[in-house]
Amino acid sequence: MFLRIVKDSFTRQARRKLLTAAVLALGTAVATATLSVALDVGDRLAREFRALGANLLVTPQADTLPLEIGGVDYRPVAAGAYLADSNLGKLKTIFWRNNVIGFSPFLDVPVALHAVADASAASDSVANADSKQAGSFPSPQASATTATLIGTWYSHDVQIPNDGGTFRTGVATTNPWWHVQGNWFHDGAAECVIGAALARRLGIAVGQMLDVGAGEHTVRLHVVGIVSAGGQEDDAVLAPLEIAQQLSDRPGQYRRLLVSALTKPEDSFSQRDPASMAPEEYDRWYCSPYISSISHQIQEQLPAVEVRPIRQVAEGEGRILARVSALMWLVTMAALLAAAVAVAATAGTTVLERRQEIGLMKALGASRALVGAFFLGEQWLIALLGGGAGYVLGLGLAHLLGQQVFGVSPQLRPILLPVVLGVAAMVATLGSLAPLRNIMRLDPAPVLRGE
Amino acid sequence: MFWRILWRLLSASRSRLLLALIAVASGAAICSALFNLNLDAGDKLTREFRVLGANVVVAPPHTADAVPVMDAAVLERIAALHEPKVVAAAPYLYVSAQAAAATPSGGTAVNEKQENGKEEKADYVPVIVAGTWFDQVALINSWWKVEGQWVSGRDAASGTHEVSDSADCMVGKEAAKTLGVAPGSQLTLRYADRQIPLVVKGIVTAGGSDDSQVFVDLSVAQSLAGLAGRIGLVQISVRGSAPEIENVLHQLSHALPALDVLPVRQLAAAEGRLLERIRGLLFATVFLILLMTALGVLAAMAGLALERRRDVGLMKALGGSVRRVMRFFLAEATAVGIVGGVIGWGVGMLLSEWIGQRVFATSVTPRLIVLPVTVGLMIAVSLAGALPLRLLGRVSPAEILRGE
Repeated sequence: MFLRIVKDSFTRQARRKLLTAAVLALGTAVATATLSVALDVGDRLAREFRALGANLLVTPQADTLPLEIGGVDYRPVAAGAYLADSNLGKLKTIFWRNNVIGFSPFLDVPVALHAVADASAASDSVANADSKQAGSFPSPQASATTATLIGTWYSHDVQIPNDGGTFRTGVATTNPWWHVQGNWFHDGAAECVIGAALARRLGIAVGQMLDVGAGEHTVRLHVVGIVSAGGQEDDAVLAPLEIAQQLSDRPGQYRRLLVSALTKPEDSFSQRDPASMAPEEYDRWYCSPYISSISHQIQEQLPAVEVRPIRQVAEGEGRILARVSALMWLVTMAALLAAAVAVAATAGTTVLERRQEIGLMKALGASRALVGAFFLGEQWLIALLGGGAGYVLGLGLAHLLGQQVFGVSPQLRPILLPVVLGVAAMVATLGSLAPLRNIMRLDPAPVLRGE
Repeated sequence: MFWRILWRLLSASRSRLLLALIAVASGAAICSALFNLNLDAGDKLTREFRVLGANVVVAPPHTADAVPVMDAAVLERIAALHEPKVVAAAPYLYVSAQAAAATPSGGTAVNEKQENGKEEKADYVPVIVAGTWFDQVALINSWWKVEGQWVSGRDAASGTHEVSDSADCMVGKEAAKTLGVAPGSQLTLRYADRQIPLVVKGIVTAGGSDDSQVFVDLSVAQSLAGLAGRIGLVQISVRGSAPEIENVLHQLSHALPALDVLPVRQLAAAEGRLLERIRGLLFATVFLILLMTALGVLAAMAGLALERRRDVGLMKALGGSVRRVMRFFLAEATAVGIVGGVIGWGVGMLLSEWIGQRVFATSVTPRLIVLPVTVGLMIAVSLAGALPLRLLGRVSPAEILRGE
């Protein structure tokens, strides 16, 4: 009997039911989409922030004072300590290895530059394809300029110990704003890219040859690109790390390592001293991707290094991320509220429309409980159907939103389905309860007369 | 006549009307708050991005070999632009000097003059000395963690000032470790044959090149290097969207024709993208909220309209044309839309202020454009909600009055 009435109600008033279900579906869709995006927004934005480059700096522990301006070291080669590049693969074995999205070692060498005259460059570039081996060339001595040669990786394959895989990393990931006109050097080749300001000063164009000397070593490099970095690098030569190691007589060594890692914004917990934590707190800290725990883990893997967060990036990122997440959550709450209001108002209107039906049922002797159960059952059915359709629609919407804004669709979260359906049913019930009570309090006779 | 009937209509069903009004007002509140926030979010976010530091650098063009410097008058010319988007501008003069910690003579007076004989034995360490204006640096490098104190202010008469007393300085964390200094200890800088005694005010932790430098007032660095009235570069923090920053860059390079005015690429690229992403997300969500609010108001107004079907029937039975009858209800819907919209706008402004305080810790500027947009939207939605009444025009009054 109960089911028959419900079925009847659905078939007789299919259009009206469809309307209610549509509003419910839309409300659920909005809720699903905004929740999916809001749950993902922290991760996504953290990844976007990596465009700011590295947030961790690794230096030798026992070092003399670096003479750095804007990240370029002007110390002579003899001064200070060095680190070995052979164990860099270990960075991808730490607990948060997947959060390490890139790293580049740096070795800055003060060098003397001689631009090779154009005519000879044309013939030399063919004749001396393997010029890397050549120790000393009778340089044309056109002009000698002192500058800094920055040795690093552009896109280098690093062997990861134990499981054997390789990881490709370098300034392509850690300094993505370095814009090169021409090509980047190939790691291992006798090539270099030259800073824009230095290139202008020396009048060097892409394709020319450059003699680079430091101490008794001289190397002839092929200029393959001009880099504009917007920093001190614009006045330097960038070359593969191996070249810098060879020039400075420091094979397999580097001075400075930049690490770009995905981190969780600092909170009051992360600012505590790990040494003062209880064991379970320490575990929680160790297993959270805070910048402090990641630097601790790097320090565990690499011997005799000091790892420091680059506060300009880390601090700024944390603050902006916290603000934006708060904003997104508030807006999401507003969206949920608006969806709830829409669903509740629609549900209420549906009940109002059917006051005569309720009157009739009451006149025929139905108890208030039965009428209530009948209506609520109907609302729940609509909520279930509409909500289910809305969930699917919402996933599509979230995908669209994610693609539009971040170029990646948010993660599918099946947990949202029961949550969203439950909330939809609850809101529909709440919305219809008040008008239902009002109607049932009335005398059936005037209701049936239509008053 | 029209107004009297309208008034009667409105006052007769007060509770129902109140309900519709609440629905419209709350919808308008959410809409106007978010709309207002959306208009302001870009501005607020670009302000937030300034925690990332300077995004424009003014430097002299590189000349062969010599350390390039420029006239400090550049700073006055930047200030003379009176560009409100320029948050701060800090000059820098880097000197590659020698530093040594000096044992404080007597151990009490920190401001005492340094006696040259005392630190003959001290070990001098090469260090980069950065001369700057601390008041501006504090605005730009907000990420500096300072142990001890900031050096307050700057020497107004930069360059002309004769450094006789020990001036204050701040030391990077690494430099402090190497030199063995702490806040309150003394430090001597040496360059060529000049020596300057300094008092360490604070230790800076920045996690970059700054950690290994010694920061002094610009005038101190100038007299140390013997480059009175010269600076190496200017770091400027400019607030605004990409085109706004572009515009400031343009103005700066126009005002400083002989110098290089360069954006800091690291920030320029990342900021633009991030801003675009966040705004896109906000815009999409706000659009969805507007849609949902409109639906809610529509449902509430449809409920109200349904209540009116008997009135429509009666009016028709008394000989009113459908058109005339409809006019009443549309007027009613409009009134609800206007009143609800204005009330909601007021509440919404308070709401957006609250959100602004919570999220950005500053107030959100109320924009006037939000009022007409919100009220207009509410009227449109209310009228749309009243549309089902039109269908009643087709039904004969007798049926409605009978209650079918």
